[in-house]
Parts: sequence; structure tokens; C-alpha cells
Amino acid sequence: MSHVDAPPLGLIAEEHVDALTAGANLLGSGGGGNVALAYQLLRQAVRRRPVVVRRAADLPPDALVVHVGVVGGPDVLAERLIDPRDMATAAHAVAERVGGRVDAVGIIEIGGLNGLAGVVAAGELGLPVVDGDLMGRAFPSINKTTMALAGGSAAPMGVVGPAGDTVLVTKSSAALAERVLLSTAGAMGGAGALALYPTTAAFLAEAGVVGSLSACVALGAAYGEFPRTQVAALAEHLGGTFLFEGRVDEIRPRDGALPGSITVTDRVAGSAARIDLLEEFLAVTVDGVTRACTPDVIVALDPTSGGVLSVGQVRPGQLLALVTLRALHAWPPEADAVVGPRAFGLDLDLEETVR
Amino acid sequence: MTSAPRVADLLHDPVLDGARIVAGAAGLERRVTDVLWYDGAFADVTDHLVVCGDAHASPPYRLEAVVRRAQEAGAAALLVVAATARPLLSTVRLADRLEIPVLWVESGSPGQIALELTALVRAPEQVRARTIERLLRQLSTKRTGQDILATAASVLSAKVSLMTSDGACILGDPVDLDPRLHLDQAVAQHGEHLLVHPVLDPQVNRLAAWLACPFERAADARLDVLAVGLAMTEPFIRSWLSGQRAQADRDSVFRAQLISEIIAGRDSVSRDVVEGAVSLGWRLPGWHVGIHVLSEAGDHVDRERMIDQITTALAGHGIELVAAARRGPGWAMWITTDDEPAPDDARRLMRAVRLVAAALPRDWSLTAGIGRPHRGPNGLAESLSEARDAADLARSHDFRPAVEHSDELGVARLLATWQRSDVTRAFAETALSPLRDPSHSHLLSTLHAYLESGGSAVLTAQALGVHRNTVTTRIQQIRDRLGVDLDDPSQRLALQVACRALDV
Repeated sequence: MSHVDAPPLGLIAEEHVDALTAGANLLGSGGGGNVALAYQLLRQAVRRRPVVVRRAADLPPDALVVHVGVVGGPDVLAERLIDPRDMATAAHAVAERVGGRVDAVGIIEIGGLNGLAGVVAAGELGLPVVDGDLMGRAFPSINKTTMALAGGSAAPMGVVGPAGDTVLVTKSSAALAERVLLSTAGAMGGAGALALYPTTAAFLAEAGVVGSLSACVALGAAYGEFPRTQVAALAEHLGGTFLFEGRVDEIRPRDGALPGSITVTDRVAGSAARIDLLEEFLAVTVDGVTRACTPDVIVALDPTSGGVLSVGQVRPGQLLALVTLRALHAWPPEADAVVGPRAFGLDLDLEETVR
Repeated sequence: MTSAPRVADLLHDPVLDGARIVAGAAGLERRVTDVLWYDGAFADVTDHLVVCGDAHASPPYRLEAVVRRAQEAGAAALLVVAATARPLLSTVRLADRLEIPVLWVESGSPGQIALELTALVRAPEQVRARTIERLLRQLSTKRTGQDILATAASVLSAKVSLMTSDGACILGDPVDLDPRLHLDQAVAQHGEHLLVHPVLDPQVNRLAAWLACPFERAADARLDVLAVGLAMTEPFIRSWLSGQRAQADRDSVFRAQLISEIIAGRDSVSRDVVEGAVSLGWRLPGWHVGIHVLSEAGDHVDRERMIDQITTALAGHGIELVAAARRGPGWAMWITTDDEPAPDDARRLMRAVRLVAAALPRDWSLTAGIGRPHRGPNGLAESLSEARDAADLARSHDFRPAVEHSDELGVARLLATWQRSDVTRAFAETALSPLRDPSHSHLLSTLHAYLESGGSAVLTAQALGVHRNTVTTRIQQIRDRLGVDLDDPSQRLALQVACRALDV
């Protein structure tokens, strides 16, 4: 059974931490930030008290859900611990602004660091965490969410720095929200705790990605139980598609907003694959045919260890296997402008794309 | 109709100057039937050369889709003009795999290049006509050989050289000769990397030189343009050559005229003649030594070149000729000095002329005569006449090359007459008969040397390389055998003539 149709979890306990981390890492699509520190935090949090998991539909319809996570530079987040109390402060600040009390914590993006951070925040607040998220993977921008597409507002947004500085953005436009958050995080030393997208459970049940936390844990569990060096079989086991395996021949770094590319060559077959990337892997084109592209989840695996490689970990000469995973969310066609390749400056020739 | 060009042919055409192959070299031999300007869609592009600009090549990932779709649509090659981003390695790999050549031109107008390529591929005859018209228009104003070649080279966008049949370069860059070309046959030919067109001698309609145009590789149409271009250039080169020849001829006719007037006028040369002489750099009032050169070589030897070589060779011996002018069947040349030459100079000159004549090709059959030094215009005429007499005598010898000096002419002539007479010969046979036996040949040679060295035993010993006493002994034996008195001048003279007569 695929992770997408995984049965809903009731609790996140210590035994789920490994699977959740591995799943979040896979769903990061090469980005989403390093999960190692968040893994430690999560383990501490759920060891004390397991976190209750609820679907949005199972919550009272007018329950206030605030989405909590972290914001900042991936390099900073990989090294600096986020204090769970800061996340709680941010959530309270946002709830206070909308005139209520936080009833449940939402996960902003299930891919990468924030997949774990939401659970940690729920543990800190002693509240249930919603079994779902707003992206179904990781995206670099806060406006690439199902909520935004459904007309929900990210504001008020709260950012709390390590020294307790609290910034509350009461109103924001989709275009500028990301920049406001990042510059605020920059002022706080590169990273901060984040709370945003306050919503009712009823709206979230309609507009969110449903069941992604359970799916993420199921995916991670499937990944953990399988011999990882047989990548093609592993891909099948994860319900994904094996795309390509070869050696990294060329890395052309991104140039600002212009996507970079990695050329992976399979010398035996004589074919070559191109990976387009920005913060995440955006598309895989094998011999001129695009086989996968955002919002699909693209996973780069080291076939010798089975480890998941992020964009920054790919090195020239390295063996690389590419796998695409089933999307956790069926994005509507109009979402293409927000989460499709064009949103990342990629004008791919998609006519004959094998999706 | 010529066949469609291949991709590699187009790559070597001037239109694609500076283009490089980025990928897909395996497909370079495909033929191109048309050119398509890519605007985002492929219709039927089978065997087309697809040209695209920066819009489809930057950012570089875009090009990959174009490569794949061009190949799927059957395109022969893809030409990227003025793209700002390097192609991705994956694109290169893809083109290599699909064997579709990706050509890269760094700068230029894509539209212009597409247009020129279209003409090249679709209407080669139009390109040819345009090239020929430009060539003719530009050549018509060119006068020198260098200019003509440079014009042809720039219009044809190729290297053009003028060379001899043995491949030596006359004008332009040296050319690597193709051994398969038959440069002895005056017809236009082309080898693997060289196109040649014969240049005919303006007067005798014989092969004078070759126009050569090296090329790396070219389509039939391009070769055609080059071949026609060379054919158009040939008459201009020929006319230049004939102009060169006329110039040289005019000079030599003028010189011959002047010299005959000096010889005819002697001391009373006219003012015109003096002016003419001065204009040619002749110093009539000085001391002159004339040299007269004759050649019995056939017409195939270029006389002008022969005289040039003799002049150069003499200069190598420190002898600077004032001029050489045609006189009768031969050439008159002379040296002028301000002071009277020393007697030693005459010997030096003689030796130099002999060395020079010996060094030149034997089939030229050279004979030369040298006059004595004389002064003034009259002296020049005198010395030249002496030189001609000496040359005539030299010609009577049966060996070549032969050189005679007029100083030794009187005695030599007298002796020559004597030596050839039957009386002398009969006397020699009789008088020297005791020494004619082969076993006594050393005595005959000793007698000859003894008489030639003026009766000196020491000089004879040196000449023969024997001891003086040997000579004395031999002379005694000769006296005994011949029964003559070698101290008697008459006897000695008679025997010397006899010896020479036997030598002849």
C-alpha cells in the first residue's frame, strides 16, 4: 500500500520519529533544510509526551489552527537549534492577533525541516498536530501553498528570534510575504521561529493537504525497512518511479533566479539526464524528454548508500540515482503558475512529458 | 546541378567562418537541402539546417528540447547563432547520442546568416553569379599581381597563390602541392585540398604558372565558385605578366639601341646617347672592359634569365657589371672603373668568368670573350669589339664553356693556325717519332713540359712532380733519342709547336 493512502496516525510517539524524519527528508525534493537537528528536538519532545495527531475534519469546525515552523537560511538552520518555546511564542502572537486561542498546530510543509518542526511545536504547546500540511512537499516560497491558492491569507505572521524578539506582520501580499519573512529572519541572525496561516479547522479541511503527516511517516517507514542500495526496487517499494542512474558529469550552479543544472551520464547506455534545480530539484529530463517536474517530488539518492542527497550535497563524479515520488496532493491545473516549472523560471518543453 | 552540400561543407564555407562543432560530430556528413529559421515550431524539416538564436538557447536548458525536437523532425543539423550561454553537457551528450550536429557561431546576426545559408543551399548558382560579379568588378581596377591575388582571395574568401609548375611560390602564401595533380598538363584541376588553374604564357600560349587555391573541404557548389573564380582571375594575371614582360622588353630594346649607337658613333656620340646612357647609369668617360657572351642553347632557355644568372654569379665574384645589352646573337656586357685597371685585374676577371661559366648549366653551351680595358665611349666600343672577337674564337673551340681573353688573342690565333696546318703535323709525326712509343710517353710529356716552361728543369720538375735530376736525366735521353740541340732557339720552337700539334 502506498504511503499516500496510509491510515491516519493517532499519535506521534518515539517509534515514529525515525520514519517521520526519513519521510520528511524524501519529500524535501532535495531542499527543505537539514533535518538532523530537528530530529533531535523531536525525539526529546515526543519522549516526554507523544503528540496527538488529528485530521482537520475531526477537529471542531471553528477550532483555530496556526501553522508553525521555522524560517531562515538553510545553513543557519542546519547548525542553530530552534527553541520550541519560540515557536510557541510565535503561535500565541498570531492567535492573539486574530483574537483567539490556538486549538491545534498545522504543519507548513511536510518536506524537510518544517515537517518535523510543526510536530515539535505541537509538543511544546501541548496541542494536537493536524495530519496534513500546506505543500505536500517542500517549496522555497511561503506563497506556494494550497491555502494561498484557496484564497487563504498567510497573515498575520509571527517571527520570533532567539533573543525573544517578536515581529508580527499583520497584513501581507503574496508577492512580498517571503521577502518580508526572510529579511526579518536575516535581522535575527539568519533564522527564526515562524507562525502563520491562522485558519479554522473547517477551512483547512477543505484547503489543506490531507493526511500528509501519516503519509510521510508511512513513506519513511517503507524507506527504512527496504535494502536501500537497489534503487530501482526501492523506488517501486516507495510507490515512486525510478528515473535514471549515472555519474554526475557537470554541475552548472544556479545564477540568481536562473535555474542551475546537473548533468548525469549513464556511460553504459550512452544516455544523459539533466536535473534543473533552484533550492529544490525542479525537473529531470532524460535524453531531452522531461520525465518529472515540480510539483512532483524528485529524490536524488546515492546508490552506494541509499542516502538521500540534497541539492547542495551533489558532487561531480558522484553516482546518483533519480526517483520521483507520487505527489501527496493533486494540484489543480491553475496551480501551475504557482508550483509548476514556469513558476521557477523553467520553460520546459512539456508536450510529450511522461507524467 | 550540383548535389546538396553536406553539413561539414557548410561549416567550411566563409558564411560560417568561426563556427565550431559543439556536439553531434557523427552527423557532419549529412546532406542539407534547405535552411529553416526556428521560431519555436518545426514543420517538415527533413534534411534542413535549423538556425536558432539566443531565444532558444538561453537559458541553456532550452536548447536541449530544441535539439531533441529537431532530431525527431528529421533536421540535418542545428546552428546556434550568438547564444549567450554555453550549452549544457547534457545537451552535448544528447546531440552526440542523436548524432545531430550542433554548430555554434559566437556572434553575428542569426537572420543574416540564415539568409546567406539559404542562398548557399537553395540557389548556389546565385551565390556563384554574385561572387563572379564582385570579382570582376573589383579585379578590373587592379594592376599588380599582388593586388589581383589579394582581391581574388578576399572576394572568394580563400587563399590564392601564384606558383610555378614545380610548386615554387611566386606570389602569395606557399602551397602544399598535391602529388596527384598533373602540373605538366595545362588544364584546371582539383586535388583533395587544392584547386589549380593554369596561367598561360601571353605570347607563346604555353604554361607559364599556376593559380592555386587551397581549401580544407568544400561542397561541389563552393568548389565550383572557387574554380570559376580562378578562371576569372587568370586573364588578369596573364595580362599583368605580359605587362611585366613588355616592360622588360622595352628596357632591353632601349639598351641594345643605345649600345649600337655608341659602337657606331665611337668618340662622337650624340647628346641623346649620352643622356640615355646616364639615365641607365652608364659612366661613359671611365675605363671599360667588355665581355661578350654567346649561347648555343635552344629556344627553351630563357635568355633574360640566363643573363640575370650570369650577372648575379659575377657579382658573387666581386665583378659588378654596368649593364648587359643584346648585341647580334649574343649579349654585350661591361665593367666600368674610374682608374685604369691593373694587369692583374684582367687575369682575375678571366678567372671569374671561367668559374662562372663552368658553374652554369652545361646545356647552355656558353662561350665568352673578354676585351682589354679602354677609355671613353670609344674605348667601350673598342673593348666590346675585342670581346666579341674573343668570343668568336672561343666558339671555335670544341669544348664548352669556353672563355677567351683578347690579350692572348694574337699569339693564340697564330699558334692555332700553325698547330692546325698539315705541314706542322707531318713534322711533328716525324720529329717526335722516337718518343711516340707508349713506353716512352713520359719522355714526350717531359719534353712538352720542359719547352712550355721555357727550358727550366726546376719548373719542369715542379710541373711533373718529379725530382730535378730526373728531369735532367730524361732531357739527356731525349737529346740522345732525337739527336737535336735543345739549346738552339729554332730547334726548340719547332719542337714546341710539334708538341702542341700532337696535343691538339
